[in-house]
Amino acid sequence: MIRLQDVSKVYDGGVVAAQGVNLEIAKGEFVFLVGPSGSGKSTIIRLLLREELPTSGNLWVAGKHVNKLPSWKVPLLRRSVGTVFQDFKLLQSKTVYENVAFALEVIGRPRHVIRQQVPQVLRLVGLAAKADRLPRQLSGGEQQRVSIARAFVNRPLILFADEPTGNLDPGTAVGIMRLLDRINRTGTTVVMATHDHAIVDAMRRRVVALDRGAVVRDQSRGVYENIPELPEDLGEAEPE
Amino acid sequence: MRFQYLLTQTVQGIRRNPLVVASAIVAVLVTLVLVFGSIVVRWSIDQDIGRWDDNVRVIAWLGDVSPDQVYAMQEEISSWPEVEEVVYFSKSQALEEFKELFADQPALIEVVQENPSVLPDSLRIKPAEAGSYDVIQNRVAVYPGVQQATAAGEEIDALVARSNRMRTFAVGVFVVLGAAALVLIANTIRMAVYARREEISIMRLVGAGNWFIRIPFLLEGLFEGVAGAALAALIVGLGHKPIVQMLSTVADPDSIVVPVQFLLQQSLLVLAFGAITGLLGSALGMWGTLRD
Repeated sequence: MIRLQDVSKVYDGGVVAAQGVNLEIAKGEFVFLVGPSGSGKSTIIRLLLREELPTSGNLWVAGKHVNKLPSWKVPLLRRSVGTVFQDFKLLQSKTVYENVAFALEVIGRPRHVIRQQVPQVLRLVGLAAKADRLPRQLSGGEQQRVSIARAFVNRPLILFADEPTGNLDPGTAVGIMRLLDRINRTGTTVVMATHDHAIVDAMRRRVVALDRGAVVRDQSRGVYENIPELPEDLGEAEPE
Repeated sequence: MRFQYLLTQTVQGIRRNPLVVASAIVAVLVTLVLVFGSIVVRWSIDQDIGRWDDNVRVIAWLGDVSPDQVYAMQEEISSWPEVEEVVYFSKSQALEEFKELFADQPALIEVVQENPSVLPDSLRIKPAEAGSYDVIQNRVAVYPGVQQATAAGEEIDALVARSNRMRTFAVGVFVVLGAAALVLIANTIRMAVYARREEISIMRLVGAGNWFIRIPFLLEGLFEGVAGAALAALIVGLGHKPIVQMLSTVADPDSIVVPVQFLLQQSLLVLAFGAITGLLGSALGMWGTLRD
């Protein structure tokens, strides 16, 4: 479903955001990209969405050779994936319903499809009763649900989530994770960048750890930090 | 669905910033009123020139020559390549013409009647091309038996010059104001893109096609260009008459009517100019801001 082959990204000015990343993600997987700020989590998502081109290496997403895709086909790539961000990116002047419907309107879906799919996805995220609210009348968790609904309404094969719980309190974050888990169970591949230890440790899914742009650990059913080589007493002295 | 969505977006874009849109329309309007106006005025001048062209005559006033000599002169001059026709005008014919021209001044007519020699015989020479009157005039002037050669040349030169100035003026106006209109439209489009930047970034995120994003802006520019052009066509169509009449040399100004067909043809041209200006302006406005 997703493949990265020797992917490197060096920004102007010499900042290395990815170096020699090799990664393969199968259909239906749930993968956490973890690592400190600046480790390259977001860069990998941006590269997979073709918001940027890699300096070297190749990427494939849903059968498309992302870095070789002609620019007029980029919209097709983005239609086959859904994306959720830390800051929700909702249109403040549109209602919940309109925000979700917008994603279908602008890719030219017929009206009867929109009328059918939007209420359906709003029920899935638990916001059917608040379809006519504006984003500012919702809590942060509810706003993130709207953005997940928008990302999922077109039934993408893959859902990218870049720090989706970054702005939410832990209780609300759990709700969002349940929702992402539910979406994953429908067969949708989920790739989530996060530095939320509690969530990663609780979910026990595949963990890909990045440090300064390189993959330093790739572990199925992993946890956020894996430091087995440290002696017990030092381990306890670790902050956090 | 798609079509309706694109139209809705266009209308929203225009409503969002009516003053800026109005300024772009006015820029197109002013540009095209001046251009269209000068086209119409130039048309009327060209009509004048056409009328004059047909009536241009070089008049060779004859000295004391016998009828045989006159006939020989007539034969030879009409064989010149730049001459179309040579007509002999006798003293009595000249007197008749004079009477007609100065019918309101009987005193003058009396003087001429008493002394017919002030109106000599003449040859009226019609040039093949109005512009070549001066060649004929120069050749005839030195012809034996010709006292003097005259032609109403300066008036013609002035008209041709006026027509050419009009053309230069129209081109100058079009270049300078057209550029201004283009930049103003580009500016409105840039502002519209800026106002919708969040929406556009989300459209990109969910996979809206590049043209799907661009078309509302192109339509907005097209609207501004065509609206300005339509107003310009209307203003010139309804208001050209007094200016044309003022500039015309025809005795009865009411007789000048710019043909409707000509006006319609030129209006279509003006509308096309407006449309192209609008589309180019909006492409310029999107330049660099709506990349993939």
